Amino acid sequence: MPRTDDDAPPAPFRPLLRQGARFGREAAERPILMFEDVYKSYRPGAPVLRGMNLVIERGEFVFVTGASGSGKSTLLRMLYRAETVDQGRILFMGRDVARLTADSVPFLRRNLGVVFQDFKLVKSWTVFENVAIALEVLGLPSRLIRARVGEALERVGLQGRGEDPAGVLSGGEQQRVAIARAIVGEPALLLADEPTGNLDPQLALDILGLFEEINESGTTIFFATHDRSLLDVRPRRLIVLDEGKAVDVAGAMSPPFPDQYASLPH
Amino acid sequence: MITGPIGTTRRAQRGMLREWRLHALSVFSLAVAFVCLGAALLVVSNLQAVEDRWAHAGRASIYLKDNATQDDVEAFRSALGKVPGVTHVKYLSSGQARAEFGAEEVPIHPELAALPIEAFPASIEIEVRPDMSDAELAAIVAKVHQLPAVDDVETYRAWTDRLASLVRGGVAASILLALVVLAAVLAVVGSTIRLALQRRSIEVEVLRLVGATDGFVKGPFLIEGSAQGALGALGALGLLAALFGMVRARMDGELSALIGVEPSFLPWQMAAAMVVLGAVLGAVAAMLGLRKLVAV
Repeated sequence: MPRTDDDAPPAPFRPLLRQGARFGREAAERPILMFEDVYKSYRPGAPVLRGMNLVIERGEFVFVTGASGSGKSTLLRMLYRAETVDQGRILFMGRDVARLTADSVPFLRRNLGVVFQDFKLVKSWTVFENVAIALEVLGLPSRLIRARVGEALERVGLQGRGEDPAGVLSGGEQQRVAIARAIVGEPALLLADEPTGNLDPQLALDILGLFEEINESGTTIFFATHDRSLLDVRPRRLIVLDEGKAVDVAGAMSPPFPDQYASLPH
Repeated sequence: MITGPIGTTRRAQRGMLREWRLHALSVFSLAVAFVCLGAALLVVSNLQAVEDRWAHAGRASIYLKDNATQDDVEAFRSALGKVPGVTHVKYLSSGQARAEFGAEEVPIHPELAALPIEAFPASIEIEVRPDMSDAELAAIVAKVHQLPAVDDVETYRAWTDRLASLVRGGVAASILLALVVLAAVLAVVGSTIRLALQRRSIEVEVLRLVGATDGFVKGPFLIEGSAQGALGALGALGLLAALFGMVRARMDGELSALIGVEPSFLPWQMAAAMVVLGAVLGAVAAMLGLRKLVAV
């Protein structure tokens, strides 16, 4: 991580690497995310995911959907290592997330952005503090943090709101703050776990639009939702979790969906 | 840099200010515990000063009868000088004794200047080897008592022994109180930190989710615990100093006449050690309280 003096102009942001690691051009050609034969169960004999295989390429915008209890949230939780797989591999940028030690998990999460349905903001902090914390853990100089947070807030349409307490914002604004926090570190992959679940339909579309703008700048988006209206309005690659497996709904770039998935909640 | 000690301290300060009532209650509880310890240390330090003042080990005062002649005194002095173990012999006449007493005590108690010279018997002050055993000194005293010119012999041993016993008792009490303080700090700070952790659980969860390490999460809590311990000790010192000042203002003359020394507050080294102890115990208690920090 480049460390700049307070007097020097902010250096371009580069994600953290382990000591001795290096960027390799070939890494850019590989898929950003691969699930290989992933098994996960919470109760014996009732696996949530059974032999799930999935490949996500860099820069994709992928919807993940399925019935309640199909494993959408579990999938995301395994990605940022709040859960561990029972079997199989999850390769993120070539590294097996499942094999990471507990000490390495923070470094994984610094390369991910996660947005939740309940926003997960610290209400007693200001908007600025909520977003800045994602850079404070990286040890960046305060001048650089101020600049980056300002850019992120502008990107989500909250410029000038840095000093407002997060607790007084509306639901849509809080979710924008959460998105700003998720993108301020310029992660390679953005995970969204039902981010529009607590928002009205119009706000949900606004938030989805924000995700799409972020995707256009190159960030891979993995968007878990059961909201059929979003899937209908914005045709994207769609993964359906069905009986523990990921089904790439071929030809689902535009509705209507194949008959067997027509019953998905919306 | 916004992390490192400055950033961690800043986050700790933010946390303490936002939960100031909780921390104020904890600091007050700790101050009460430290007052007990501080009071015991205050008593012990003054007792030690008294012991140093009165410990005439290796010294004796032989009081002569009023009818002792100058020849008796000279013969006595000569004989004592030859006794093995006696290193110094000095004759103090009544007038000299009165003058010495006046120089020490009259500035504090002017009324004592009116005491007659008869109140100050002549004496022979002897000093013995510091390594002389109690038995050897007792043997010399026994022989000296048998001399016709001797009225009384004072070795100050009883006082010294009594004071040493008091000091030992005070030290034991201080150790016990220190253990009580240790338990109090661990319990109070540990509970406060666990409660603060619970009230800031969303903050901890967010920190974990954005990639904060264990040290980043726990650092501010350790500083908060340490600050509670140090502030508790400082508060106790302030309270003790105020109480000491009040007691001293009311009983200054009587107290110093009674014990023979000016009562003094805790030495600065002891006060500093209390604050450092509070800080260290607070940090340890916070560390123990954070053991069950839930991983996200």
